Amino acid sequence: MLLNRPSLTRLAALAASAAILVTACGGSTATQSPSAAAAAAAAATPTAAAATAAATPSPTPLITAAPISNDQPGPNGGVVVRWFVGLGTGGQPQQIATQQQVVNDFNNSQKDVYISLEIQDNKVAGNILKTEIAAGNAPDIIGPVGVEGLNLFIDQLADLQPLIQSQNFNMTKFDPSLANFFKMGKGGATIGVPFAVYPSFIWYNKALFDEAKLPYPPTKVGDLYQGKPWDMDAVRALGMKLTVDKNGNDATSANFDPNNIVQWGFDMQWADNSPLAESSLFGASSFLAPDGKTAQVADSVKTGETWFDNGVWKDHFIPNQNQINSDLLAKGNEFQSGNLAMDETHTWYACCVNPAPPAKPIVKSFGWAIAPSYNGKITAKLHADTFAMLKSSKHPDAAFKALAYLAQSGALLTAYGAYPADPSLVQGYKDGVDKQYPDSKLDWSVPQQMLGYVDIPNHQSWVPDYAKAKAAWQAFGTGYRTSASFDVSAELDKLKATLQGIFDAAPDKNP
Amino acid sequence: MSASTQALRHLPAPARRSRLRPSVREALWGFGFVGIWIFGLLVFTAGPMIASLVLSFTDFNMVRPEAVTFVGIDNYVRMLGDPSISASLIATVKFAVITIPVTMVASLGFAVLLNQPSLPAKGPLRALVYMPMMIPLVASTLVWMGFLNTDTGWLNGILRALGLAGPDWINSDVWVYPALSIMGLWGIGNFMLINIAGLQSVPTELYDAAKIDGAGRWQSFRRVTIPMISPVLLYNLVIVLIGTFQYFTQAYTMTNGKGDPNNATLFMNLVLYREGFVFNHMGYAAAIAWLLFVIVLILTLVLFWFSRSRVYYAGGDR
Repeated sequence: MLLNRPSLTRLAALAASAAILVTACGGSTATQSPSAAAAAAAAATPTAAAATAAATPSPTPLITAAPISNDQPGPNGGVVVRWFVGLGTGGQPQQIATQQQVVNDFNNSQKDVYISLEIQDNKVAGNILKTEIAAGNAPDIIGPVGVEGLNLFIDQLADLQPLIQSQNFNMTKFDPSLANFFKMGKGGATIGVPFAVYPSFIWYNKALFDEAKLPYPPTKVGDLYQGKPWDMDAVRALGMKLTVDKNGNDATSANFDPNNIVQWGFDMQWADNSPLAESSLFGASSFLAPDGKTAQVADSVKTGETWFDNGVWKDHFIPNQNQINSDLLAKGNEFQSGNLAMDETHTWYACCVNPAPPAKPIVKSFGWAIAPSYNGKITAKLHADTFAMLKSSKHPDAAFKALAYLAQSGALLTAYGAYPADPSLVQGYKDGVDKQYPDSKLDWSVPQQMLGYVDIPNHQSWVPDYAKAKAAWQAFGTGYRTSASFDVSAELDKLKATLQGIFDAAPDKNP
Repeated sequence: MSASTQALRHLPAPARRSRLRPSVREALWGFGFVGIWIFGLLVFTAGPMIASLVLSFTDFNMVRPEAVTFVGIDNYVRMLGDPSISASLIATVKFAVITIPVTMVASLGFAVLLNQPSLPAKGPLRALVYMPMMIPLVASTLVWMGFLNTDTGWLNGILRALGLAGPDWINSDVWVYPALSIMGLWGIGNFMLINIAGLQSVPTELYDAAKIDGAGRWQSFRRVTIPMISPVLLYNLVIVLIGTFQYFTQAYTMTNGKGDPNNATLFMNLVLYREGFVFNHMGYAAAIAWLLFVIVLILTLVLFWFSRSRVYYAGGDR
């Protein structure tokens, strides 16, 4: 068949136009645009266990199948409840399989509720959830999510207390302080149920202590260290002895070269440049006064941040930002590098002492010690993960039924590597970590003891316009780590003024 | 010959086609081809621009969508007293003052160097200068951060070997601009290629004439080359200027979006991004976007106005 030239041109033009249109409008792939990816990367890591997700390489921005509409019954005939995963942990391949299995088990076990699982990559999840909320297409359940994640979405979270009562959810099995921990919503609303907790304490590298012929720090509250109280002064003295330059001199030596340090004594790794997190060792506090509108900087923050600043620039036993970013400290995973003797961090760090295979572990054996005291008082900051419900849920009863199931799942706790809030589930977690680090012979009484000394108010507790306020205090945290001439006291005064401005302008006043 | 072909040959020409004048038909074809582009422009560019203009007069917050209210020009007024806006303008200007000359001079310098007739292996050398453009910005930024690390970076290592104390490139609010400008040298490949194209379009008889008149190499370059490639230089300058005001990826990667040290890398795009996507103040972020647009537009117009007496168009067209 012959076609004349104009017809051929017309056909080609039509085909090209169609191709361009399809390319331009095609949106069904999971590929993220560079701007979306960049945007998501900057989103705050809103959960305690997000550090796990961030530290472990994720192969792809994984996305499950599009969620089923909750306007119609699910495949099992039940009310569809959408579960959104990604604000914290939950994105690793093995976790996806477990989550899917947990959901399948639930969906097959009854016909009232159908959970539709929606997993987003941690880097983009926050922005995707915001977009879904703005578009009126929010999920029913979010989680696992930490306190910061709850803060960021606090306006959208449902009060679970009426559902806890109406569905007889057993809260008595939890430690009372944990049972009340999530009463942090608007008007004291309960916005989560206890699921996973992450107490903090000292992680120490046994090899570095052995090399310096120093005894390990205490594992029992009240024990002394070398005949003296295990307090912040002891940490400073010990930290200096464990800080070594390239010539082998420690930081207490007159010949110590602070420009060529190869091993540091102490740090609080991955504390998110938060002054509240660092100074929690000196006492818990919030930047928000009890009146819910006034900015404050507690004395414990001034003392704590001065201690850290001196530790970095005067005593040199805490690394500065350049040193943290260097290869010597594994570009931020300081304890994993084998060049940090003591690290105050949470149980979630069990994820990351060893590098991802095929790299070989550098820290062969480590131990846990109790958090040091200040003025005779121990404060061990706490992270916690939970599941929360959005108040926009069309089926709150069904959603809570699903939430209660997820919050009591031992399989999920194991998959997330989370320390269970439910004491009856703790043994499984311990076994998993012991198996991961057989040479360390960890003292499990340490995290258990530290649960009795959690920071109240929590260092991540809500303040108005949380994300912007956090950026302000992070700027302070970065400032003293990057500049030797940083005036901690003056900068804290400035920070207080800045926070007051943010609180005053915030749309979300006292919850 | 098949029956169908015969049938086609006997079909009368479409009546409509015969009624249209050729110029109209041509115009319709043109619109047909650009129609897709116009559709894309309206839906994917003009639409969001209008939406962002509307949003800039609201307090739209992505996590409180139900509470959106019209706030008039409050967002624009707020910018006047926002320290992050003034900090970002200062940071952008400081960076522009260093990086624009560095980029322009370096790209022209490499172009002149790699356009020398006597230079062997010009092709591979040009490819070498261009190649860093192929590396994703995030990856190259991470590499540069390692290179510029005060304690363990190669640059300071080299300086130490020469007996010099290297600066704190990344964490000093003074040195971070030269550091970013040095990083930017990996991105001059495009400008270099455009300059080479410009250099190759300069008629050789002009150089011959200049030589006869006694001009040296520098005078030839200054009096012949620069005027002849001034439209190309203007184009590069406009693009570099716009790029400087839209600077984002490197600063974001270096500081995780925080603008460290001491807000020195808090460029306007970073402020916009943080307000919109981190702090959820989408209405305010839209206002910042429009401020950025207006600033870049004004600067570009000023540049074009200034270029009227500085740029030589051989064909007479501007």
